[in-house]
Amino acid sequence: MMIKEELGKKLLFFDGGMGTLLQAKGLKPGELPETWNAGHAEEVIGIHQAYIEAGSDIILTNTFGANALKFHDSSHPLKEIVCAAVQNVKEAVRRSGVGRKVYTALDVGPTGKLLKPMGDLEFEDAYEAFRQVMAYGEEAGVDLIHIETMSDTYELKAAVLAAKENTKLPVFATAIFDDRKKLLTGADVPAVVSLLEGLRVDALGINCGLGPEQMIPVLDELLSYASVPVIVKPNAGLPRQRGNETFYDVLPEDFAGTMKQIVEKGAAVIGGCCGTTPDHIRYMADYCRHIPLKPMEKKSYTIVSSYGQAVVFGADSKIVGERINPTGKKKFRQALKDHDLDYILKEGILQEENGAHILDVNVGLPDIDEKAMMVEAVAGLQSVTSLPLQIDTVDIHAMEAALRIYNGKAMVNSVSGKQESMDTVFPLIARYGGVVIGLTLDESGIPNTADGRVKIAEKIIREAEKYGIEKKDIVIDVLAMTISSEPHGALVALEAIRRVRKYLGVHTILGVSNISFGLPCRPILNSNFYTMAMYNGLSAGIVNPSSDEMMEAYHAYHALLGLDENCSAYVEKYASHGPRNAVRSASGQTGNASGSGGNVSGVGSAGNAAGFGNSSEGMNLKTVIEKGLKEEAHHITESLVQVQEPLEIINTHLIPALDHVGKGFENGSVFLPQLLMSAEAAKAAFSVLKERIADSGEQAEKKEKVVLATVKGDIHDIGKNIVKVLLENYSFDVVDLGKDVPPETILKTVKEQDIRLVGLSALMTTTVASMEETIRLLKKEVPECKIMVGGAVLNQEYADMIGADFYGKDAMQSVYYAQGLGTEKSKNPQ
Amino acid sequence: MEQLKKEAVRYLVYGKNAVDAQTLELIEESFMNLQSAAGRKSIYRIFDLSLAGKENIRFGNLEVKSKSLGKNLLGCDKIVLFGATLGVGVDQLLFRTSKTDMARAVVLQACAAALLEEYCDACQDEIAEELKREGRFLRPRFSPGYGDFSIEYQRNVIRMLDSAKTIGLTITDSMMMVPSKSVTAVIGASTLLIHCHRQGCEACGKKDCIYRRQENLP
Repeated sequence: MMIKEELGKKLLFFDGGMGTLLQAKGLKPGELPETWNAGHAEEVIGIHQAYIEAGSDIILTNTFGANALKFHDSSHPLKEIVCAAVQNVKEAVRRSGVGRKVYTALDVGPTGKLLKPMGDLEFEDAYEAFRQVMAYGEEAGVDLIHIETMSDTYELKAAVLAAKENTKLPVFATAIFDDRKKLLTGADVPAVVSLLEGLRVDALGINCGLGPEQMIPVLDELLSYASVPVIVKPNAGLPRQRGNETFYDVLPEDFAGTMKQIVEKGAAVIGGCCGTTPDHIRYMADYCRHIPLKPMEKKSYTIVSSYGQAVVFGADSKIVGERINPTGKKKFRQALKDHDLDYILKEGILQEENGAHILDVNVGLPDIDEKAMMVEAVAGLQSVTSLPLQIDTVDIHAMEAALRIYNGKAMVNSVSGKQESMDTVFPLIARYGGVVIGLTLDESGIPNTADGRVKIAEKIIREAEKYGIEKKDIVIDVLAMTISSEPHGALVALEAIRRVRKYLGVHTILGVSNISFGLPCRPILNSNFYTMAMYNGLSAGIVNPSSDEMMEAYHAYHALLGLDENCSAYVEKYASHGPRNAVRSASGQTGNASGSGGNVSGVGSAGNAAGFGNSSEGMNLKTVIEKGLKEEAHHITESLVQVQEPLEIINTHLIPALDHVGKGFENGSVFLPQLLMSAEAAKAAFSVLKERIADSGEQAEKKEKVVLATVKGDIHDIGKNIVKVLLENYSFDVVDLGKDVPPETILKTVKEQDIRLVGLSALMTTTVASMEETIRLLKKEVPECKIMVGGAVLNQEYADMIGADFYGKDAMQSVYYAQGLGTEKSKNPQ
Repeated sequence: MEQLKKEAVRYLVYGKNAVDAQTLELIEESFMNLQSAAGRKSIYRIFDLSLAGKENIRFGNLEVKSKSLGKNLLGCDKIVLFGATLGVGVDQLLFRTSKTDMARAVVLQACAAALLEEYCDACQDEIAEELKREGRFLRPRFSPGYGDFSIEYQRNVIRMLDSAKTIGLTITDSMMMVPSKSVTAVIGASTLLIHCHRQGCEACGKKDCIYRRQENLP
């Protein structure tokens, strides 16, 4: 008998807690329970046997924490631990002699480490740790893999992927939700369900963290989104402390009573977690054995997700931000060539603040390594925004690499009706999950009738079925052809959208602005067409969320169609704007995406266009920068460049202001937040001047490059970021390598870009060692390169000891040092 | 809230100087942002404590050698292991902010530090309440890294609390806690009530620290 034959047809019982029972038998706090598989096999077998006799159908091996990250010394070889654990379950089954099938499940818990970007564990290292233990488990003869107690979707993905790609075993996966129905790293129920079902687990659910009663609201939501059988394994209530003892407060009979309710609601596999005992399981099995299993219904929600949230497609229309795309954007192309990741991240943050629900990510340029850049952009964006991403590329390798490291269930742009496209893209969706955009074009091009486009959509849906990809995971893009060359371009697209929604029952998406290509005042056409498309059933528009016209169309449509309850989103957005004419001019000032970065903080004084005029009245640029007024600095510079040369502005305003503030910081009259506010204001002004210089076609001055890095092992980089802002103000081109940077990476960058100054930061005594190692490597390989260091635990003496050329006790000191080294021209601000 | 703001200002190294209005506004906004970003979680466990000599400390399965901790625990027969965190949401917010506005990021980080301390104090008050019922009184909490209590013990405390699983508090290979706004500590419990007016900052021997609390200020 295989478990898949019974799963979902018959109620299955897991076992209960292991840790608490082992502790009762003498396991010490902090001692690894897995070491008992060999050393105290009898105790472990005894516990398994008690659960089997209590009624458990599935017994978990005592391998919760068995992975190479915890077991890496030779005293407890991982393979032996796993083998012994599996043997213990089999022995317990033999001894108990019950006449029913008892399944052995390999128990896989979290690594105990947090994955990057928050922690220091690489996704692929987590994957490898899981792969290893799973391979041992399969070899030792387990019937299934049970991944549990996960509190991070990224680690969950690594574990499920490892199981799917390396074993043939059925995979169960459960996570810890808290009373807000979220994982510790932020994911909600639909985000977890869509991720796991995208990866094609056999059953999913919730365990640990909560007692049975508290799990019910989470269960309700799980049941409303999940299509596969749902697992529920609560703790025996909440942990309480009595003297030195931790105990759980729900007694076996009460536990069983709630579990009965849980089965009646629709759970298909139940058991216990921390604090539950064979008694809990016995009562539970007795209470629940005869309840008929509620069949699971297939759900048809289209869901994309990230680590922190899910976007569920519905009656309203979603905004997919289109700005992360080099097509037709000179500055973006330059940023890609310069490897300026921050530019992309800021573009992402700005679109989120302007109302995007999903971000399209396209980094394709002929002369860059698109795969590497795509992976970096996706990982980078997922460290600054929890919006789901839409991976947009024609490079199948870039697509696969991005889908693999993506934290969540991504949107994929795109597959077409061409056989070759479907043959390459669908296997990736089947493997990693995802919602894929189907373009209605095929080998013979784009049909010029709605009929033709709908037929291709049908073909895409049919072909996807062969890969087990359901209709809900396909969103059709019927393509908008510009009306300047195709007079019926809009009509055909609108009709195709209507039919795809109505007759094929799938969601739709469209790059809206194509419609106006080649015509003047495009926003007029775009926004009106956008409204029409939504009215005909457009589920998501790929648009520019910074465009006032598009957002007006969006909000008006939702308010008018009763999709914006109490018109609250509309009112929030436009109530303060007064008469319509004021809308554009006011939001034009705050919604400006032109790269100052001045408006992306999302909170604070930005957005008060009226107040701005007053507050800075009578102030010149120098004063505004000294006061650290970022918005004002941006606007004043914009009017100043109309009458003054950029260089003159720099010499009469920017340099004196920065000098003034810098001196103030040194003599203790200006404090760090103020120094940085001025720096940010100066940055806003510089960005206006930079654009002006670029527009005039003048060659910008070549700037001195400085590498900054927080050393390997160190993940606190606020100090380094402070130095970066200031150095940039003083005309240095900062190559920011980020945090946790290996010495080799720093050396490679120094060599490749011919760098003469490196700044290193370290926060703790434990990471100064790695700073020293970095310095040693640089001094050996590139002795002419200077090294400055800073960080909380450092001082002059320490810096000398580890061989640094300069110790910067604060950020300004590093600027002065860099200036002293540089050529004459870099002694002045930009 | 006033106390929180004061602490944030101290972390921003204003010393005895008055904070400017703009920074104060950033501080207020930062605390507001932290309200939604912070997912406060904590855990503690109590162990029997045995002390031998001035520096040999034993609890659970662990033996610690530390003079400064020994001094802190003198007269105690129980020890509370404590872990608390503001969660990854704060790290995410900090990282995002550092991409767009460093002044705000620096203020946010100071506010988060102040919020964490306040949260730990509140947790400690609750634990004190609990232990008072058994007639025990708490000493000031003491973290790995204080004095000669090696920072390496962070790993033991984290493991004994099973804090990765229970509150999501983990540690990197180089002994950095993730989420970054987290605390591990031990707290001695004694049947004798000793008034410890010197707490945390003031008890530290590093008198020239730029973050040192100004004792004469209200």
